[in-house]
Amino acid sequence: MRLLLVEDEIDIRNFLKSSLEETGYQVQAAPDGKTAERLAVEGDFDILIVDLGLPDQDGITLILKLRQLGVKAPVLILSARRSVDDRVRGLEQGGDDYLTKPFALAELLARLRNLLKRNSPAGNDATRLRVQDLELDLLRREATRGGQVLQLTQQEFVLLEYLCRNAGRVVTRSMILDKVWGMRIQPDTNVVDVHIYRLRGKVDGAGQQPLIRTMRGVGYVLKDR
Amino acid sequence: MSSKTGKPAMRSAAWRISLWATLAFAFGTMVVFVFLHGFVASDIQRRSDAWLSGEVEVLGDVAERTPKNALYDTVVGEVAELAEREVPDKPATGNGTDDTVFFLQSGGDGSLKLWVGAGNGEAHLQAIRAKHIPEDRPTDITVPGFAVPFRVASIRMDDGSQIYLGLSERDEQRVLWSLRLRFLVLWLLIVLLGFGIVFLTTHRMLSHVRRISEAASQIGHSDLDARVPTTKRNDEVSHLALTLNRMLDRIESSMHQLHTITDSLAHDLRSPLTAIRGKLEMSLSTITENEQAEPVVSAIDELDRLTDFLNKSLDVAEAKADALRLSRSVVELDELLRVMLDLYEPSMSENGLRVRLQSRGPVSILVDSALLHRMIANLLDNELKHLPANRNLTIELHSEGSSAILTLEDDGPGFDPEVLLHVFEGRVKGKTSDGHGLGLAFVDAVARAHGGTVAASNRQEGGARIAITLPLAMEQSRHTMVPVVSRSK
Repeated sequence: MRLLLVEDEIDIRNFLKSSLEETGYQVQAAPDGKTAERLAVEGDFDILIVDLGLPDQDGITLILKLRQLGVKAPVLILSARRSVDDRVRGLEQGGDDYLTKPFALAELLARLRNLLKRNSPAGNDATRLRVQDLELDLLRREATRGGQVLQLTQQEFVLLEYLCRNAGRVVTRSMILDKVWGMRIQPDTNVVDVHIYRLRGKVDGAGQQPLIRTMRGVGYVLKDR
Repeated sequence: MSSKTGKPAMRSAAWRISLWATLAFAFGTMVVFVFLHGFVASDIQRRSDAWLSGEVEVLGDVAERTPKNALYDTVVGEVAELAEREVPDKPATGNGTDDTVFFLQSGGDGSLKLWVGAGNGEAHLQAIRAKHIPEDRPTDITVPGFAVPFRVASIRMDDGSQIYLGLSERDEQRVLWSLRLRFLVLWLLIVLLGFGIVFLTTHRMLSHVRRISEAASQIGHSDLDARVPTTKRNDEVSHLALTLNRMLDRIESSMHQLHTITDSLAHDLRSPLTAIRGKLEMSLSTITENEQAEPVVSAIDELDRLTDFLNKSLDVAEAKADALRLSRSVVELDELLRVMLDLYEPSMSENGLRVRLQSRGPVSILVDSALLHRMIANLLDNELKHLPANRNLTIELHSEGSSAILTLEDDGPGFDPEVLLHVFEGRVKGKTSDGHGLGLAFVDAVARAHGGTVAASNRQEGGARIAITLPLAMEQSRHTMVPVVSRSK
């Protein structure tokens, strides 16, 4: 996967570049809009990360310019601004996504994956999800583990489905709040943890190998092997 | 607009102004008229008195010189009749005899010696007898059978007889009556016309002022780009509009400055926070020992708390300056509360709290949904952190008039009395609180930015009560229909 990273802060650029490369992306980094324009037209990128506050131009102006130049790759917008610009909302509706700084790396990776999945032709319209011995029937809204039907509430099923779709990858609390409850909030209480705790009590029965793992300081992961 | 013009005109300021102006005008013209009327009446009186005194003297002279023989009555009578024809202000009458003037000579014994006039003169003589008439100036006499009094002048003859000349005041009264009637008609016309003109002009002017105030009240809650409507006229009202617009220019520029400051502050703090968090996360991924990971994990937690604190502080600061940027959409509050409670309920029951939602159906509000989500999360976080186990939380939602009313009542320890006074000011927290005390300040800030209110109190039966009002969606969308002139940039 070829990724273009447009970020002027050298510290952030460096750590993002190295962590993204570690994850398997081929990263080219640009410190400003001019360089980004040149690189984007030359190279065929699968995805872009663009910071809104660039020294030479506004990030949104850059994205619109790149779209005019024929760059079709999805964009993940990074913003250090306080309020989400209406124009960012517009881009979000057009298929791009945004993330406010500071962010968890896991969340950045998850959003990148989502953007790439959205743009790939193979849809995720499967009716069944399977992770190890855990199986989800999306039509009947039923989950089984090792053949045993799990007694889940509607909300718990949605949460488990989200974890399954991201099996093997870390999801943060704010990602869970965003995707399962549809809110971008940062509670300073353990509301998400309690949901996970309850779900774990139903999914990981006594004597079974625990599937839902806590990644401290980051979030949760559903183990896929 | 159309809803405002439907308001009865009698309650408007224009109505009151024109009413008082007209009253003052009517009273003033009435005083002037009364004064003029008195002047005209006394002048007419003076003229007829002068004529009476002159004529009675001439008649006395004639009567003196005419020999007292058989011809006396005829001579004096004819002179008297001639004099009567010269009555001032007398309208032309068809027949010679009229009852407006009489001539009367009484003998020394008080008997009627000579009479010229309508009737036999007995009634007139009786009336004159009944009242003493001084010689030097004419006096009013009321004669039975005549509605209008007579003005009578007298002169005394050498032979002891007395000559009287009487003139009815009917003509004088007729003149004054027609004067009054004409004045009254004209006065009414002018007063009504004046009222109309004053009402129309003040109504026009004040409706312009009303448009300005309606537009001005809208500005600030929606956007600072808008300006109040101005006119081309160069009067006080257009000056008011221009002054308001200049003031808005200044407010907008300082607001812009505030946004620039908070934005750059946020940016300058967030960029290093992002870098630090990233580095911590990277180092966490290389650590395999759980014990070594502990300090890094808690550093990340602290960093997230710091970020949250930064966001809330800046939001509260902006909201206190009425400068929170809103991106509004219609939100179903009832539904949102159910989703929120679904999220919070497990944590609450884990803490031994029972939550109950009492809602009387859907309540739509026009709000910035991201801010509203955070506001409700703050309220529930607050309850979760401060309520001891085995307590109840009741959330109640209903609409009243044009407001949505959301109340949270618990049976916990309630607010500390000294905290209660400053609970929305920020940086105030209870002794046992581990938060940074911005939670309720943020709630207050968001509610006020949307034109709502928050009130905190302790319930009489124990426990805390927080009541929030937010304007309903319908009400707000009607407000946005007020014509606000957008400035062309």
